[in-house]
Parts: sequence; C-alpha cells; structure tokens
Amino acid sequence: MDATQKQELRRLFASRLTGAVRMYLEACTHCGTCIPACHAYASEPELRHSSVGRAENIRRLFWRHFRPQGRLAGWLNEAVELSEDWMEKVYETAYTCTGCRRCVTYCPFGIDTQQIQSIAKLLLIGAGREPQVLSMLADMSIAKGENVEATKASFTQAVQGLEEEVIARWRSEAGREAIPIDEKDADLLYVALAGKHSIIPAAAIMNAAGENWSLSYFEAVNFGAFVGNPEKTREISQRIIDEAVRLGVREVAICECGTAYRVMKFMMGELPFRVVSFVEVIARYLREGRIQIDPRKTEQRLTYHDPCQIARNGGVMEEAREILAHLTRDFVELQPNRVENWCCGGGGGLVAMGEKEFRMRSARVKAEQVRATGAEVLATACENCHTQLSDLNEHYALGMRVAFLSDLVSQALVASQ
Amino acid sequence: MNTVYYLIMVPMVYLAVAVCLIGVIARLIALGRAPRHPHSLAIFPQRGPRFLGALGDTFGMPTVRRHQPLLWFFLLLYHLAFLVLIASHFDLFPGIRILPADSPHMIGAGAVGVVLTLALFYFLIRRFRSPIREITVPSDYLLLLLLLFLVLTGSTISWANSWNSEAGGFVITKQDFGLYLDGLARFRFEDPREVLYGSHYIVVVLHVLLANLFLILLPFSKIMHTFIALPMNRLRRGA
Repeated sequence: MDATQKQELRRLFASRLTGAVRMYLEACTHCGTCIPACHAYASEPELRHSSVGRAENIRRLFWRHFRPQGRLAGWLNEAVELSEDWMEKVYETAYTCTGCRRCVTYCPFGIDTQQIQSIAKLLLIGAGREPQVLSMLADMSIAKGENVEATKASFTQAVQGLEEEVIARWRSEAGREAIPIDEKDADLLYVALAGKHSIIPAAAIMNAAGENWSLSYFEAVNFGAFVGNPEKTREISQRIIDEAVRLGVREVAICECGTAYRVMKFMMGELPFRVVSFVEVIARYLREGRIQIDPRKTEQRLTYHDPCQIARNGGVMEEAREILAHLTRDFVELQPNRVENWCCGGGGGLVAMGEKEFRMRSARVKAEQVRATGAEVLATACENCHTQLSDLNEHYALGMRVAFLSDLVSQALVASQ
Repeated sequence: MNTVYYLIMVPMVYLAVAVCLIGVIARLIALGRAPRHPHSLAIFPQRGPRFLGALGDTFGMPTVRRHQPLLWFFLLLYHLAFLVLIASHFDLFPGIRILPADSPHMIGAGAVGVVLTLALFYFLIRRFRSPIREITVPSDYLLLLLLLFLVLTGSTISWANSWNSEAGGFVITKQDFGLYLDGLARFRFEDPREVLYGSHYIVVVLHVLLANLFLILLPFSKIMHTFIALPMNRLRRGA
C-alpha cells in the first residue's frame, strides 16, 4: 500500500470519527460481555465473528493512526499500520457483520459495533475492495433516480399489470385505481420493493382501509447503506424524499424492508413528512377499525421474527404483536424476542451478496430458535429476513412456511361488520 | 536513595495529579468538540427518562448482570470498593474528616483492600481464560497488574501498621499520613520522612509511585471509561 493510498484511507477513517465513534474506539475494556451476543459467534464460536473481534480490526488501526500512545508504544494496544494484509482482515469482518446491533444490548457502555464496521466498510470502498455487486446495485438505484422520466411509462405499465391481483384480494372503490401512482396530495406515499410481493398485499390493505395513497416510483431498498457508502445512502433516499415533497404527502410508509426504514426514519435528518414502517400502518388501521381480519384464515401455529432494523433499531415491536393478536389465535413467541431476538443472519447486504454458505453456517442458532417454537408459519416484516429465513427453512429442513406479515393480513381481510 | 524517595513522594505527586487533571480535561474537550454523530444511536424500546436510565445503565450495569452475573458481581464489588477507597484517602486529609479525627483506621478498616484484591485477582484470572485471553492486549494486563500492586502495597501499609503491638498497633498512624498529605496540599515541599517514621517507609514510597503511575496513565488508558461511560450510555438511550 503506497503512501498516497494510506493517506486517503486515513482521511476516510477520520471522516467517520464523530464523538460517539471516538468513545466507542477508546473505551472498550475488553470485558468480553459482547462475545456471545453475535449470532455468528453463537453458531460458530470464532472470535472474528464476535463484536469485539470485529471491532478490534478497526480499533488497532485507530490506536496506530489517531492516538499518540499508539505511535509511541503501539505494542500496548497491539496497534497496527494500514496495510494490504490488514485490509484482508478488515474485509473478513466488515461484510460478515449484519449490523443488527444485538451486541449493543450486551455492552455495559453500549459500544455500537455497527458504527465501527461503517469505518471498515468505508476503508474497503476507499481501497476498492468492497463487494462490487453492492456498489453496482447502489449505482443502479441512483441512475434510476436520475432517469426517472425515461422509466415512468414502463413502470406504470408494469404496475397496472398487477391491479387484477390486488382486486382479487380486495375490490377497489369505484373510480379509484387499485394501485395509484403519482397522486398529488395523497396522504401516504408507499415505498415498495422491486417485486409484486411487496406491492400487492400492501395495496389491498390500503384500499381496504380507504387510504388516500400513492405508490412511489422508487424501490425502498438502500444498497448504499449495505455497501457502507454514506453519499450513496443519502442519494438513494433523497430520490424518495424529493418525490414525497413533490406530491405533498403527509406520511411516507416504508414497505417491509428493515434497512430502508431505519435509513429513512433515523438517518435522513428532519423531514417535512412522517416516516412509518408498513407494520405501523397496518396496526393503525386495525386500531382505528379501518380494516378487519379473520383469524380463522390463519389457523396454523404462527411465530414472528422481529427484524433487527425495525424492532431493536427502529422501535416497532408491539405494533407487530397488535397485528398478530388479530391475525391468529395460535401465536407463539420466539425465545428470545423483541430487543433480544437473534438476528436472522441475512442483513448488512449479505443476502444481496449471495454468501449462502456463510449465511447458513452463521445462523444455525436462528434456525434452532425457530425450530423450538413448533410453529408452522414464520412471519416477518423485512425482505432480507424473509429471504434469509426461507433459505434457513430449506437448509435446516424446518418445514415451515415463511410469510410476510402484510401478505398474511391481506389474505385474511374481511369486510367490516 | 533518599533523594529518589523524596522525588517520588513530593514532586512526582504534583506531576501525576497535573498530568491526570489536564489529560482528562483535554480528552473530554477533544471528545466534546468532535463532530456530533449524524443520526440517533438509540436501541429500543426506550422506557423512562433517558438520563436516569443512562445513570442506571452506567452504575448498575444491567446488561452485564443479565449476561455475565459473576463478572457483574465482581465489577460491582470492585467499583463500590474503589469509591470507598477514594473516600478513605480523602478522609486522611486533616481538613476532610469522614471518620472521627482520632480514629486509627481507614474507612473499611482494611476490608476495602481485601475486596479490591479479590476482584482484581478475578479480573486477572478471567483474562487468562479463552475467549477473553484472545481479546486481551498487553495494556489490559499491565493496567490490572498496576492496580493489583497498588492495592497490595496499600493493604501492606495497613497491615504493617496493625502488626506493631509495641507502638499500640500503629507505627505510621493515620494522622501521620494526614500530615504528609496536608503538607502536599499546602505545597510545603517538606521531606515526608519527617512525619512518616515507620520502617516500612519503602512500601509507602512504592505505593505512592504506583499511584503516581496510575494517575499519569489514566487519561491515556481505558480507565477513561470512568468519565465517558455515562455519555455512551446516553447515546444508547437515544440522547
């Protein structure tokens, strides 16, 4: 690694050194309380899969490059110089961390390993070593934002092709489109994923509730956040913000996608509209009596996986239980659940990167947790979790049906009494 | 040798206190002036007032209690004993009296040192076991050893005083240490040997030397968590 590249990486590192991150890097006492927190370590007890093990790769660089004691007596904290070899180690731990932040709930200080790994990811981007597939997907999202007019017609046509399936779940009011797009002064802008599974159930539910809504042109998923590029993360979210402002909506509902929800809700600063997850929207409709669901339509034993970015990192936990209370009479909680729930092992871009072999190995503990419930249906509210849980279902022969919460609700919709 | 003892017992104490105070303040200012994190670092659910919750997290360490109860027990014991230890050292100053002025004992009558020694031995032994051994760096061992020897020499001074029955159980009395510290506080630069007569003076010098090293290293070490544990816990609470 030449001096110029080292200097550039050092600059990137420094750009992430907020007061919080500095404290996270300086205060760790190596007590080891966080070690069992990571699902990857619990499934495969190797230190590089633990929170402190991952953080140390960055912490040692920090001591060497940003603290005088690291330069004067680096051996004290085993400080290391930026090098090609060390970047290999950084890669190994950065993109195997799902950013679930379960370890934050173990650490006595609340050290946030996800923030430390965001430095690792930025360094890898700077060194051109990030997973190219994630960067490519992020660039595609940004390009779509830049050329939205060119794709509007084909998008509208594709969406119209889904309307029949929406109507099959819930008839539309006369004069209203089943999937409204570009509705000025809509109350709610729904941001889906690029797939009909993310549009049809939500459309049926919102139509049943009589919502004045509009479908966003853009997909919710934020590959910029997965790859760890703050600029691309912002650009991808900004497309949706601009659309919401243009339409004058009061609320932006993010589909069942954990990272998209967390980025839009917590990382984009003050916004002129409210950001909610679609789980919150469904719970609100039920609370207000705007939709009714028949629990007899979900007769199998059901359990629910709290997506990390929506629950522990987003605060949406009890809303899911509200929905489940209406949805089924045979609900069983995963143990542990809510804030302590095990990560599915698919977040942080791992699903998009493929990495199936690692994902299956590192989520053995998740599979065991799910199997212990004896449930026949495993519901969740995140695309990544759904894909990962479906893979686990197959790999560990759990014999379950993995379903989106919105899909179960839309299948059980009944007319108000 | 007496000159070395004097340097350790008087000028180095001032140096250590100055490095510690300036170092800690400078670190806290640097952390305070660093850019604010651009987004919330909260973990949910958030119940109750944030500040009180963070105080509870900092001093009660509930996450450790839940996941590592034995470690939590020793951590709590250690930190409580350390607080008592600080109070008992302040109690030595003639102007600050917590126990009666004529009391021959320090607060805890030696029990504090025993508790700290046990806790530090536990922390040290724990570091030799996997997986903690693998995450331990030299500074972790050195800090623990420094603290352990600091506490052991402190306890030795206490025991040495009690063992001399001819002098009523105390050779260098608590009041003698008070005179030494009072001299330091009033910048009299007197030779401590004039008030600390005991034959185990070398242990006292060693204890002060280790305490000086501890104070000098504090701002550059993980012991800074003393000052930043609360702000970090506030971040987890969404502050």
